[in-house]
Amino acid sequence: VTAAPNAGIMPALSKQTREREVVLYIGGVHASEQPIVIKTLLGSCISVCLYDPVEHVGGMNHFMLPRGGGTGLGPDATRFGVHAMDCLIGAVMKVGGDRRRLVAKCFGGAHVLDVRESVASVPQQNIEFIRTFLQDEGFRIAAEDMGGYHPRHVHFHPRAGRAFVKRVESSATASRLVAQERPPEIAVPQYGDVTLFE
Amino acid sequence: VSSTILIVDDSRTVRAMVRTALEEDHHQVVEAADGVAALAVLAGAPADLVITDVNMPEMDGLSLCRKLRADGRRRGVPILILTTETSSAVKQMGREAGATGWLVKPFHPEQLRQAVLHVLRRASS
Repeated sequence: VTAAPNAGIMPALSKQTREREVVLYIGGVHASEQPIVIKTLLGSCISVCLYDPVEHVGGMNHFMLPRGGGTGLGPDATRFGVHAMDCLIGAVMKVGGDRRRLVAKCFGGAHVLDVRESVASVPQQNIEFIRTFLQDEGFRIAAEDMGGYHPRHVHFHPRAGRAFVKRVESSATASRLVAQERPPEIAVPQYGDVTLFE
Repeated sequence: VSSTILIVDDSRTVRAMVRTALEEDHHQVVEAADGVAALAVLAGAPADLVITDVNMPEMDGLSLCRKLRADGRRRGVPILILTTETSSAVKQMGREAGATGWLVKPFHPEQLRQAVLHVLRRASS
Protein backbone atom coordinates (compact mmCIF):
# COMPACT_ATOMS: atom_id res chain seq x y z
CA VAL A 1 0.00 0.00 0.00
CA THR A 2 1.40 3.30 -1.07
CA ALA A 3 -0.17 6.16 0.84
CA ALA A 4 1.12 8.87 -1.43
CA PRO A 5 1.01 7.52 -5.00
CA ASN A 6 3.85 8.70 -7.23
CA ALA A 7 5.49 10.53 -4.35
CA GLY A 8 9.05 9.53 -3.63
CA ILE A 9 8.79 5.81 -4.41
CA MET A 10 10.77 3.65 -6.82
CA PRO A 11 10.03 -0.11 -7.05
CA ALA A 12 12.80 -2.49 -8.19
CA LEU A 13 13.85 -6.13 -7.93
CA SER A 14 16.98 -7.09 -5.99
CA LYS A 15 19.32 -9.17 -8.19
CA GLN A 16 20.84 -10.94 -5.20
CA THR A 17 17.70 -11.98 -3.36
CA ARG A 18 14.94 -11.63 -5.95
CA GLU A 19 13.18 -9.84 -3.12
CA ARG A 20 11.16 -6.94 -4.39
CA GLU A 21 12.64 -3.62 -3.33
CA VAL A 22 10.84 -0.36 -2.79
CA VAL A 23 13.09 2.69 -2.59
CA LEU A 24 11.70 5.67 -0.72
CA TYR A 25 12.72 9.24 -1.39
CA ILE A 26 11.63 12.37 0.48
CA GLY A 27 7.86 12.27 0.91
CA GLY A 28 7.56 8.52 0.31
CA VAL A 29 5.34 6.23 2.40
CA HIS A 30 5.03 2.49 1.81
CA ALA A 31 3.54 -0.43 3.78
CA SER A 32 3.31 -4.09 2.89
CA GLU A 33 2.44 -7.57 4.09
CA GLN A 34 4.76 -9.04 1.43
CA PRO A 35 8.38 -10.21 1.90
CA ILE A 36 9.87 -7.06 0.38
CA VAL A 37 12.61 -4.71 1.47
CA ILE A 38 12.00 -0.97 1.77
CA LYS A 39 15.16 1.09 1.35
CA THR A 40 16.06 4.69 1.83
CA LEU A 41 19.05 7.00 2.29
CA LEU A 42 18.79 9.58 5.07
CA GLY A 43 20.66 12.72 5.99
CA SER A 44 18.81 15.19 8.19
CA CYS A 45 15.48 13.56 7.23
CA ILE A 46 13.76 10.99 9.43
CA SER A 47 12.37 7.59 8.53
CA VAL A 48 10.05 5.75 10.86
CA CYS A 49 9.44 2.02 10.48
CA LEU A 50 6.18 0.81 12.03
CA TYR A 51 5.65 -2.92 12.55
CA ASP A 52 2.87 -5.17 13.86
CA PRO A 53 4.63 -8.18 15.44
CA VAL A 54 1.44 -10.30 15.42
CA GLU A 55 0.26 -9.76 11.84
CA HIS A 56 3.83 -9.42 10.51
CA VAL A 57 3.11 -6.32 8.46
CA GLY A 58 4.84 -2.98 8.48
CA GLY A 59 5.82 0.13 6.62
CA MET A 60 8.20 3.03 6.43
CA ASN A 61 8.08 6.73 5.60
CA HIS A 62 10.68 9.42 4.88
CA PHE A 63 10.02 13.02 5.84
CA MET A 64 12.08 16.16 5.73
CA LEU A 65 10.60 18.59 8.26
CA PRO A 66 8.37 18.30 11.34
CA ARG A 67 5.74 20.64 9.94
CA GLY A 68 5.13 23.24 7.24
CA GLY A 69 5.25 26.93 7.91
CA GLY A 70 5.37 30.30 6.27
CA THR A 71 3.74 31.13 2.97
CA GLY A 72 4.47 30.46 -0.65
CA LEU A 73 5.02 27.40 -2.80
CA GLY A 74 5.34 24.12 -0.96
CA PRO A 75 6.27 20.54 -1.71
CA ASP A 76 3.92 17.61 -1.25
CA ALA A 77 2.63 17.40 2.28
CA THR A 78 4.05 14.00 3.19
CA ARG A 79 7.39 15.73 3.48
CA PHE A 80 6.06 17.02 6.76
CA GLY A 81 6.12 14.82 9.82
CA VAL A 82 2.54 14.88 11.13
CA HIS A 83 1.04 14.02 7.78
CA ALA A 84 3.78 11.52 6.92
CA MET A 85 3.06 9.72 10.19
CA ASP A 86 -0.71 9.84 9.65
CA CYS A 87 -0.22 8.34 6.16
CA LEU A 88 2.14 5.65 7.47
CA ILE A 89 -0.18 4.57 10.30
CA GLY A 90 -3.12 4.43 7.85
CA ALA A 91 -1.08 2.47 5.28
CA VAL A 92 0.07 -0.12 7.86
CA MET A 93 -3.51 -0.53 9.07
CA LYS A 94 -4.69 -1.04 5.49
CA VAL A 95 -2.36 -4.03 5.08
CA GLY A 96 -3.70 -5.57 8.29
CA GLY A 97 -1.75 -3.92 11.11
CA ASP A 98 -3.45 -3.12 14.39
CA ARG A 99 -2.53 0.36 15.54
CA ARG A 100 -2.51 -0.72 19.19
CA ARG A 101 0.30 -3.22 18.57
CA LEU A 102 2.54 -1.13 16.33
CA VAL A 103 6.11 -0.58 17.43
CA ALA A 104 8.42 2.01 15.94
CA LYS A 105 12.03 2.15 14.80
CA CYS A 106 13.40 5.61 14.02
CA PHE A 107 16.39 6.64 11.95
CA GLY A 108 18.04 9.76 10.56
CA GLY A 109 18.27 13.30 11.85
CA ALA A 110 21.99 13.58 11.09
CA HIS A 111 23.80 16.91 10.89
CA VAL A 112 25.12 16.37 7.38
CA LEU A 113 25.53 20.09 6.85
CA ASP A 114 28.85 21.38 8.05
CA VAL A 115 27.40 22.82 11.26
CA ARG A 116 27.45 21.74 14.88
CA GLU A 117 24.42 20.15 16.50
CA SER A 118 22.04 22.63 18.09
CA VAL A 119 18.52 22.63 19.52
CA ALA A 120 17.27 24.87 16.69
CA SER A 121 18.75 22.82 13.85
CA VAL A 122 16.45 20.97 11.43
CA PRO A 123 17.82 17.51 12.35
CA GLN A 124 17.34 18.17 16.07
CA GLN A 125 13.82 19.51 15.47
CA ASN A 126 13.04 16.35 13.49
CA ILE A 127 14.31 14.15 16.31
CA GLU A 128 12.38 16.07 18.96
CA PHE A 129 9.24 15.98 16.83
CA ILE A 130 9.25 12.24 16.25
CA ARG A 131 10.00 11.37 19.88
CA THR A 132 7.15 13.61 21.07
CA PHE A 133 4.75 12.40 18.39
CA LEU A 134 5.35 8.72 19.09
CA GLN A 135 5.02 9.23 22.85
CA ASP A 136 1.80 11.25 22.46
CA GLU A 137 0.32 8.62 20.16
CA GLY A 138 1.30 5.73 22.42
CA PHE A 139 3.82 3.99 20.15
CA ARG A 140 6.81 2.27 21.72
CA ILE A 141 10.20 2.99 20.17
CA ALA A 142 11.82 -0.45 19.85
CA ALA A 143 15.02 0.86 18.28
CA GLU A 144 16.48 4.13 17.11
CA ASP A 145 19.62 5.49 15.53
CA MET A 146 19.25 9.26 15.20
CA GLY A 147 21.55 12.26 15.28
CA GLY A 148 25.28 12.34 14.70
CA TYR A 149 26.99 13.57 11.56
CA HIS A 150 26.77 10.71 9.05
CA PRO A 151 24.08 9.85 6.48
CA ARG A 152 22.46 6.43 6.86
CA HIS A 153 21.31 3.69 4.50
CA VAL A 154 18.22 2.03 6.01
CA HIS A 155 16.77 -1.29 4.85
CA PHE A 156 13.48 -2.37 6.41
CA HIS A 157 11.84 -5.78 6.02
CA PRO A 158 8.18 -5.16 6.88
CA ARG A 159 7.17 -8.82 7.31
CA ALA A 160 9.99 -9.50 9.76
CA GLY A 161 10.02 -6.05 11.32
CA ARG A 162 13.80 -5.99 10.99
CA ALA A 163 15.70 -2.85 10.10
CA PHE A 164 19.35 -2.63 9.06
CA VAL A 165 21.29 0.60 9.21
CA LYS A 166 24.65 1.43 7.68
CA ARG A 167 26.30 4.76 8.33
CA VAL A 168 27.82 6.37 5.24
CA GLU A 169 31.28 7.81 5.65
CA SER A 170 31.53 9.13 2.08
CA SER A 171 31.66 12.91 1.88
CA ALA A 172 30.36 12.73 -1.71
CA THR A 173 27.18 11.01 -0.50
CA ALA A 174 26.80 13.57 2.27
CA SER A 175 27.15 16.44 -0.22
CA ARG A 176 24.54 14.89 -2.51
CA LEU A 177 22.14 14.50 0.41
CA VAL A 178 22.64 18.06 1.54
CA ALA A 179 21.60 19.23 -1.92
CA GLN A 180 18.53 16.97 -1.93
CA GLU A 181 17.42 17.69 1.60
CA ARG A 182 17.99 21.42 1.75
CA PRO A 183 14.59 22.64 2.94
CA PRO A 184 12.87 25.17 0.72
CA GLU A 185 13.17 28.67 2.16
CA ILE A 186 9.41 28.84 2.35
CA ALA A 187 7.72 25.51 2.95
CA VAL A 188 4.00 24.94 3.32
CA PRO A 189 2.09 21.70 2.89
CA GLN A 190 -0.12 21.14 -0.13
CA TYR A 191 -3.58 20.66 1.29
CA GLY A 192 -6.12 17.97 0.40
CA ASP A 193 -9.34 18.33 -1.60
CA VAL A 194 -12.77 19.00 -0.13
CA THR A 195 -15.81 17.27 -1.68
CA LEU A 196 -19.32 17.88 -0.43
CA PHE A 197 -21.76 15.22 -1.68
CA GLU A 198 -25.28 16.14 -2.94
CA VAL B 1 -23.56 29.87 15.96
CA SER B 2 -21.84 27.41 18.28
CA SER B 3 -22.46 23.72 17.58
CA THR B 4 -21.38 20.47 19.18
CA ILE B 5 -18.96 18.60 16.93
CA LEU B 6 -17.67 15.08 17.51
CA ILE B 7 -14.17 14.39 16.15
CA VAL B 8 -13.39 10.71 15.60
CA ASP B 9 -9.73 9.95 14.86
CA ASP B 10 -7.27 7.46 16.31
CA SER B 11 -4.53 10.09 16.30
CA ARG B 12 -4.46 12.35 19.33
CA THR B 13 -2.33 14.80 17.35
CA VAL B 14 -4.87 15.05 14.53
CA ARG B 15 -7.76 15.42 17.00
CA ALA B 16 -5.90 18.30 18.65
CA MET B 17 -5.32 19.98 15.27
CA VAL B 18 -9.01 19.67 14.33
CA ARG B 19 -10.10 20.89 17.76
CA THR B 20 -7.87 23.96 17.50
CA ALA B 21 -9.36 24.83 14.10
CA LEU B 22 -12.98 24.40 15.21
CA GLU B 23 -12.65 26.19 18.53
CA GLU B 24 -11.72 29.30 16.53
CA ASP B 25 -15.43 29.39 15.63
CA HIS B 26 -16.44 28.68 19.25
CA HIS B 27 -17.78 25.21 18.53
CA GLN B 28 -17.98 22.77 21.39
CA VAL B 29 -15.72 19.86 20.48
CA VAL B 30 -15.90 16.32 21.83
CA GLU B 31 -13.49 13.54 20.86
CA ALA B 32 -13.46 9.78 20.27
CA ALA B 33 -10.59 7.55 19.18
CA ASP B 34 -12.62 5.13 17.01
CA GLY B 35 -16.13 4.25 15.84
CA VAL B 36 -17.08 2.27 18.94
CA ALA B 37 -16.03 5.11 21.24
CA ALA B 38 -17.92 7.55 18.99
CA LEU B 39 -21.18 5.59 19.35
CA ALA B 40 -20.68 5.57 23.13
CA VAL B 41 -20.20 9.35 23.14
CA LEU B 42 -23.28 9.88 20.96
CA ALA B 43 -25.37 7.61 23.21
CA GLY B 44 -24.72 10.07 26.03
CA ALA B 45 -25.12 13.34 24.16
CA PRO B 46 -26.12 14.24 20.61
CA ALA B 47 -23.79 16.06 18.23
CA ASP B 48 -24.65 18.50 15.45
CA LEU B 49 -21.87 17.15 13.24
CA VAL B 50 -19.52 14.16 13.19
CA ILE B 51 -16.06 14.43 11.61
CA THR B 52 -14.45 11.04 11.26
CA ASP B 53 -11.28 9.39 9.94
CA VAL B 54 -11.60 6.18 7.88
CA ASN B 55 -8.83 3.83 9.05
CA MET B 56 -9.23 3.26 12.79
CA PRO B 57 -9.12 0.25 15.12
CA GLU B 58 -12.30 -1.34 16.55
CA MET B 59 -14.68 0.34 14.09
CA ASP B 60 -13.62 2.29 10.99
CA GLY B 61 -15.19 5.51 9.80
CA LEU B 62 -17.28 3.98 7.02
CA SER B 63 -18.83 1.44 9.43
CA LEU B 64 -19.57 4.29 11.83
CA CYS B 65 -21.26 6.13 8.98
CA ARG B 66 -23.48 3.15 8.17
CA LYS B 67 -24.37 2.65 11.86
CA LEU B 68 -25.43 6.27 12.22
CA ARG B 69 -27.47 6.23 9.01
CA ALA B 70 -29.27 3.08 10.21
CA ASP B 71 -30.08 4.67 13.58
CA GLY B 72 -33.43 6.46 13.48
CA ARG B 73 -32.41 9.08 16.06
CA ARG B 74 -29.11 10.00 14.40
CA ARG B 75 -29.93 9.39 10.76
CA GLY B 76 -29.86 13.08 9.92
CA VAL B 77 -26.58 14.10 11.56
CA PRO B 78 -24.10 15.38 8.95
CA ILE B 79 -20.90 13.32 8.68
CA LEU B 80 -17.68 14.65 7.21
CA ILE B 81 -14.96 12.13 6.44
CA LEU B 82 -11.44 13.50 7.12
CA THR B 83 -8.88 11.04 5.82
CA THR B 84 -5.61 10.42 4.00
CA GLU B 85 -7.58 8.20 1.58
CA THR B 86 -7.57 9.68 -1.93
CA SER B 87 -8.85 6.65 -3.86
CA SER B 88 -12.04 7.42 -5.77
CA ALA B 89 -13.32 3.88 -5.02
CA VAL B 90 -13.05 4.43 -1.25
CA LYS B 91 -14.55 7.89 -1.63
CA GLN B 92 -17.52 6.33 -3.46
CA MET B 93 -17.87 3.84 -0.60
CA GLY B 94 -18.06 6.81 1.74
CA ARG B 95 -20.78 8.38 -0.31
CA GLU B 96 -22.73 5.13 -0.37
CA ALA B 97 -22.26 4.77 3.40
CA GLY B 98 -24.03 8.09 3.79
CA ALA B 99 -21.20 10.58 4.29
CA THR B 100 -22.06 14.23 3.74
CA GLY B 101 -18.58 15.18 2.53
CA TRP B 102 -15.01 13.98 2.02
CA LEU B 103 -11.97 16.00 3.08
CA VAL B 104 -8.47 14.79 2.29
CA LYS B 105 -5.67 15.34 4.83
CA PRO B 106 -3.67 17.38 5.35
CA PHE B 107 -6.45 19.88 5.87
CA HIS B 108 -6.20 23.64 5.76
CA PRO B 109 -7.85 24.92 8.96
CA GLU B 110 -9.80 27.60 7.10
CA GLN B 111 -10.99 25.10 4.48
CA LEU B 112 -12.19 22.76 7.24
CA ARG B 113 -13.99 25.56 9.04
CA GLN B 114 -15.74 26.63 5.82
CA ALA B 115 -16.84 23.07 5.07
CA VAL B 116 -18.14 22.69 8.64
CA LEU B 117 -20.04 25.98 8.43
CA HIS B 118 -21.57 25.02 5.07
CA VAL B 119 -22.70 21.60 6.29
CA LEU B 120 -24.13 22.93 9.56
CA ARG B 121 -26.08 25.65 7.72
CA ARG B 122 -27.47 23.15 5.27
CA ALA B 123 -28.47 20.79 8.10
CA SER B 124 -30.32 23.52 9.97
CA SER B 125 -32.17 24.88 6.93
